[in-house]
Amino acid sequence: MTSPAASHSPAATSASTAALASKFLGAGLAGLALTAIGFFVSHNSAGVALSYVVGIAYWSAVAIGMLMLILIHHIMDSGWSVVIRRQFEHGLAAFPWLFALFIPLLISVRLQPGLVWPWMDLSHEIHGGHTVGTDVLYLKKQSFLNPGMFTGMTVGFFLVWMWLSARLRKASFTQDTDGDTKWTFMSRRTAAFGIPLNALALSFAAIYWMKSLEYHWFSTMYGVWFFSNCIRAALAFGVVITCWLYARGDYKGIFNVNQFHCLTALAFAFVVFWAYITFSQYFLIWNANVPEETFWYNIRETGDWFYVGMLILFGHFFFPFLFWLSYRRKSTRGPALFISIWIALIILVDICYNVLPALKDHHGEPLPFLSMNLVWVLTSVVGIGGICVWAYLRSFATTKLIPIRDPRIVESLTYHEATAP
Amino acid sequence: MKKSYGLIAAFDTTPALFHACEQVRDAGYSQWDATTPFPVHGLDAAMGMRRSKVPRFSLAGGITGFITGMSMIWFLDAFDYPLIVGGKPYFSPMFAFPVSYELTILFTAFATIGGMFILNKLPMHYHPLMKAPQFVRAMDDRFYVVIEAADPKFNTAQTRALLEKAGGKDIAELEE
Repeated sequence: MTSPAASHSPAATSASTAALASKFLGAGLAGLALTAIGFFVSHNSAGVALSYVVGIAYWSAVAIGMLMLILIHHIMDSGWSVVIRRQFEHGLAAFPWLFALFIPLLISVRLQPGLVWPWMDLSHEIHGGHTVGTDVLYLKKQSFLNPGMFTGMTVGFFLVWMWLSARLRKASFTQDTDGDTKWTFMSRRTAAFGIPLNALALSFAAIYWMKSLEYHWFSTMYGVWFFSNCIRAALAFGVVITCWLYARGDYKGIFNVNQFHCLTALAFAFVVFWAYITFSQYFLIWNANVPEETFWYNIRETGDWFYVGMLILFGHFFFPFLFWLSYRRKSTRGPALFISIWIALIILVDICYNVLPALKDHHGEPLPFLSMNLVWVLTSVVGIGGICVWAYLRSFATTKLIPIRDPRIVESLTYHEATAP
Repeated sequence: MKKSYGLIAAFDTTPALFHACEQVRDAGYSQWDATTPFPVHGLDAAMGMRRSKVPRFSLAGGITGFITGMSMIWFLDAFDYPLIVGGKPYFSPMFAFPVSYELTILFTAFATIGGMFILNKLPMHYHPLMKAPQFVRAMDDRFYVVIEAADPKFNTAQTRALLEKAGGKDIAELEE
């Protein structure tokens, strides 16, 4: 092979993938090390631990969303998405690592209950001089909210996610070699029970990890809110991955404008879905005006959290919605990549908005958004994200770029929309 | 003979039609069409068709619907007959939003359907192509290109030459 073509040879690209993977691993380990230093050195170990929860929730959301998209793909017997599905399957490689990275939090539940989730410490003092242990609202929920249930459920969530991922990955990767359609049917069965299972797991994960931080609060929309962020995060990273593979040359002639438009149109639909869910949660609480529910939003209107809320309203919905209305901005890689990265960032802000105000100062006021905690959020997100991307890239190097023997691969590659220019 | 509607040329295969369409497109014609027995993928690009303008109607309808919802509730509850309901303000975008949102969708749907009918000129009870004897085979096994006399670039001799060069067979003039 001559020298200009050599840079695109399989050996060269796999070497560049490996180099990229080790860079992400390095960044991940550095981020985790900084977070650990912060936890043991700073006076604010609860803040660091809570920031770490933000990081775990964020990257779990990406992986859960990818899992859900694959399951939906199989249950619908979809055509166009075969070509992108493989990348989501690689994304599922992050689950075992997310589980491993969650273990420090489970250890903290044993060693220092109440560090992150106040209800784990029955002597924790709450508003009005009572303790959690004498709080009737806690006692009613105690069979659900206790350290044993928390640990068991969290292990259960990860087992569900890893088991579903293993089934889907095995079916898809084995089909590359034997081309047997039985793998497609197996994945469809996985999807049939996997969707309700994943829906329950992600809802309970959102309730245990995030909502229970303020256990007095009620919201039936919370699980769906987390689901919508999961799907949006997965689609945003799907666009980023697509653009990366395009820039590198892998997707040239494989991933065309029509498939790209389908991907971004789905992401656009979930912009509206997220807004519907988030507005409904706010509106129902605003309209009922019951103190047991409104306090959660009142906390988030103090200090700079009010502006974070406004940023989420305009940045998480209006900006992506209006920007993405036009066909051109959905089907052109540059603008779509820009808005996808923006969405990926604003989802992090949304999770911060839901988690961090649980941290109170001595007067019971939430610590501001712009504080040292934001630094620990960033180190956690880089740390956990580095490991997740490394896991993705390591899996990426082991298989073909697309599921070449999927029964619908031809349909996917030639996918064409009648209205495309 | 009645007034001419345009020229029709026949093609036997999909590739022949596809390349003929590219040539007609590149010659700069705008009032013309291809008739095929089945959908041909990529033919819209070969014909140089632009994206539909229906979304502009949809956007206009959506904006109208949203403004209608908001202003209607403000007018009814805060201006024309101020009434306190449930201890809430006379007007708040919060409770006006669900209705405005529904009206956005409703008006968008109306505008989309209406815009489609305006742009595609349906229902059309008569089309000159319908009475051409060739048209029967356009539903069976042959492909046709029709260039309308209304096209600003239309010139019977030159257009016929173009269609011949593109490989068109049985070129004939259509009556209005």
